[in-house]
Amino acid sequence: MKLKYSLITRRTFLNTLLFGWAAAFFSGTFYALMKFAFPTLGKEPDFVVLDKKAFKGLPQNSVKPFPWGGTVGLYLKKADGKVLALKGVCTHMECNVAYKPEERKFYCACHQGWFDENGVNIAGPPPKPLEVFEISEEGDKLIIARKGVKVELPKA
Amino acid sequence: MNCPRLKDWFEERYDLRGIRLLAREKLVPEHRYDLWYYTGGITLFLFILQFLTGMLMALYYVPHVKFAYESIIEIVTKLNMGWFFRSLHHWGAQLAIVFLFIHLFGTLLLKSYRKPREMVWVTGFILLGISIFFGLSGYLLLWDERAFAAVRVATGGAGAFPVIGGFIKAFLRGSIDVTGDTLLRFYAFHVAILPIVTLALIGLHILLVQFHGMSVPLSLEGEKRRDIPFFPNVFLKDLMIWLVVLGAVVTLAVLLPPEIGVQADPLAPPPENIKPEWYFLFMLETLKLFPGTILGFNGETIAILCVTAGILFFFLIPFLDRKSSRGEKSPLFTWIGVIYIVYFLVMTAMGFLS
Repeated sequence: MKLKYSLITRRTFLNTLLFGWAAAFFSGTFYALMKFAFPTLGKEPDFVVLDKKAFKGLPQNSVKPFPWGGTVGLYLKKADGKVLALKGVCTHMECNVAYKPEERKFYCACHQGWFDENGVNIAGPPPKPLEVFEISEEGDKLIIARKGVKVELPKA
Repeated sequence: MNCPRLKDWFEERYDLRGIRLLAREKLVPEHRYDLWYYTGGITLFLFILQFLTGMLMALYYVPHVKFAYESIIEIVTKLNMGWFFRSLHHWGAQLAIVFLFIHLFGTLLLKSYRKPREMVWVTGFILLGISIFFGLSGYLLLWDERAFAAVRVATGGAGAFPVIGGFIKAFLRGSIDVTGDTLLRFYAFHVAILPIVTLALIGLHILLVQFHGMSVPLSLEGEKRRDIPFFPNVFLKDLMIWLVVLGAVVTLAVLLPPEIGVQADPLAPPPENIKPEWYFLFMLETLKLFPGTILGFNGETIAILCVTAGILFFFLIPFLDRKSSRGEKSPLFTWIGVIYIVYFLVMTAMGFLS
């Protein structure tokens, strides 16, 4: 069927074309700009490999920090000689926590949060316990991994 | 200084009558609250000062995670007058925020935001937000442990915002944690993105004030009063006050140069008794009021939502205060304003003392 009259005017058609083009152009430009401005985020590591020797002589009731991705992990030798590795970042607002040997607790100075020596939140604002890692050894390597992660070391 | 030929040169090319007329005819009302008119000018002056001292330091500062801290030490110890300009930049920033708040609270209590000046309030409010971001981004550039912890908390707090929080956090940090990427990003915000937005908004803000003329408080609207010319009377008064403020900033800068803490170490815990800049203290104290979990929800998220709601309400006051927009007295909003001010002052004081 052939229509006698066009359903849209020439002006509407051209306006739609113009604004449609402008919308496509600017949204594409904006998308590209945003894509650039937003970082491609790294990922928290599943495990880190450390040198066992460096942690060997650690006295009891003290901690040694190690890099965990961009943040800090803490290797704790408790007063009874057991060891524990946990993420040293407060679960409240992500400040680093400090170990207080005299009280056997972890303390966050930013908003006065406390965790016991197993990383359980006991006082102050922190909503959850510190993340505890699994410790394993392989030769002279000390491997600290998130719970439930299968560690596959690259064959050297 | 009278150069008739230069004047002629311009007048042959440009029609300056409009500007001359504007300068001659701009009037400012005189009344017992007119001191508040100067708070905006003082803030403007401090911003100019910040631009100048900032440009100076940008000549020497190195925005790299390895050299940032060192370069500031170098600025304050080795460069001629470096300590002075950094100190001036620091105190200029502090006073700019102080006067922004005074300017804001004056506007709030005198209800200068009422119709038709809502857009003046809106632009000013955005400028306050930008200024606070200026402060936050500026002090990360020191890359000392206090700045590091503060930015971690501030960006982490933004991350507690539902739905878009993670997005904002990633955008601000440029990485999953506060790292060298964050430093570079905040440098870009501090020296390129924020200044240009600020310039545009200050221009718009002043243009709007010029367009509407000065607001006269509701309580004085019916009274007889004198209008005094802006040029030269008010302008000269402005300059005199600016000179006093410059004196105050220079005095503070010379007598109390800001310290710089220990270099940031992502593996070290922050120092005891760490506190953010004073204009974040009310936020910190507010967040402390909320427990970690409320009825199974994350207390942090609820706290952030409450603070956001409070700020949003504040922002919308010109649109919610129907009475003053009709030109009637509006005691309810006076009380709301007083509550906001008292809350801000009390929480800030508590932050200092705790």
